[in-house]
Amino acid sequence: MLAKDFPQFRPVLPGTRDAAIAITLNVNDQDQVLYVTASDKLSRVLRRSLDLTGLKEGCLEGECGACTVLINDEPVNSCLVLAFQVQGKRILTIEGMEASEGRLSRLQQAFLDKGAVQCGFCTPGMVLSAQGLLNRNPHPDEAEIRHALAGNLCRCTGFQSIVEAIKSVAVQ
Amino acid sequence: MTDFVRAARPNDLGDVTAITGRSTGSIAFIAGGTDLIIAHENLPWPDLIIDITGIAELDFVDVTETAVQIGAATTMSTLDRHKGIRKSLPLLAQASAQVGSAQIRNRATIGGNIASAVPAGDLLPVLKCLEVRIEILRHDGRTEVLEFDDVVVGSGETSLGNGDLITGIVLPLKHGANRISAFAKIGMREVLTIARLNMAIAANYDQAANRVSDIRVVAGAVGPLPLRLPAVEAVFQGRVIDQSLADDFLNALVSEIDNAIPGRYSQSYKRRAIIGLGLDLLRDLFDREFSPALPLMEPV
Repeated sequence: MLAKDFPQFRPVLPGTRDAAIAITLNVNDQDQVLYVTASDKLSRVLRRSLDLTGLKEGCLEGECGACTVLINDEPVNSCLVLAFQVQGKRILTIEGMEASEGRLSRLQQAFLDKGAVQCGFCTPGMVLSAQGLLNRNPHPDEAEIRHALAGNLCRCTGFQSIVEAIKSVAVQ
Repeated sequence: MTDFVRAARPNDLGDVTAITGRSTGSIAFIAGGTDLIIAHENLPWPDLIIDITGIAELDFVDVTETAVQIGAATTMSTLDRHKGIRKSLPLLAQASAQVGSAQIRNRATIGGNIASAVPAGDLLPVLKCLEVRIEILRHDGRTEVLEFDDVVVGSGETSLGNGDLITGIVLPLKHGANRISAFAKIGMREVLTIARLNMAIAANYDQAANRVSDIRVVAGAVGPLPLRLPAVEAVFQGRVIDQSLADDFLNALVSEIDNAIPGRYSQSYKRRAIIGLGLDLLRDLFDREFSPALPLMEPV
């Protein structure tokens, strides 16, 4: 059976393997058409095809959360999603978080103000997990914040300054 | 065998059958992918990957007075947040809330938890405890409804054939408003942890008489399959709920561990850990505190 048997996935790109799949999705408010293979991971495609290198591929098994992005406003590990599965979905990465050109969002600014960034490797995932929480629950308490961050590991800060940063946004 | 992997993203179950009926190669269904993608990190994918997350008819929760029906592609987050599930099947909401992290729960599905058949799977003891039936769409388009034990048959093993898809679960709500239930889990850390032990209990509770009947106790991660514990259930027979019953219940749990994994390196840990798990469940079920049984105090 060939990819052309599935009308939703046209073989594309002359000269590529016919398993290449065209997906349309919205990344950081821009519509994109991407060409992926069946087993390509979303994390890899965002980094390599769109140069969105804020997200990190840390553990590749859903433990560290450094690859966290929002799909339709909900945080997910982009290393545990196949790219072809996000056809038609809306994706937010750290590069799309700015409030406007060159201006950080309140949440990002709070991370800076509270010293919640040290080496920075976990930070994009942390910010997006926090944003995912705030989307559903604009005023989380500390327990809710810690619960929402359980899937994001930081080996520098000890988490306290990260929790403080999110709290400072949550109470506003 | 083909030399590269193909993908399909059908929009309804008719399309699924159209694909599986024609396909000659190996097929993997994917939903959340939280287990499957890790499993294929060092393993080749099958010839065809079919993503079922675009199928609206697999993503639903329907709670009525008499039955609960859940689509296979329903995520843990949805189950955790669903008001009807929280009210009618609190242990299923509890178990879903304790799976992985927020990121994992936003992807992982109830159908995937069954299909993975991992011994530590958090929903498995719950589903067995609730006596759910599992709906299957065979690769040739036939539909079947099977008992839990006829689907999950071993560690990581189901009875499903190539191209067979779990489409949902169904359970009749045959018990009344006095049905109580609880789920608890122990792992190496508080969250994002694989269960070292988990357990689900459901029973009818006569509050005036302070007795339970029709009790089902199912433990997970003590063997390849979720294990029903009839000897533990028998402890409750004709007894009022008090500390002496709690002692017998906890001692029965310890015996079950000794029987299930004799000589296993984890036996000495789990026979103590299960006491804590049992105490958590009793507190949840009866809304009062009980003391640990003696074995917890024994020197290791």
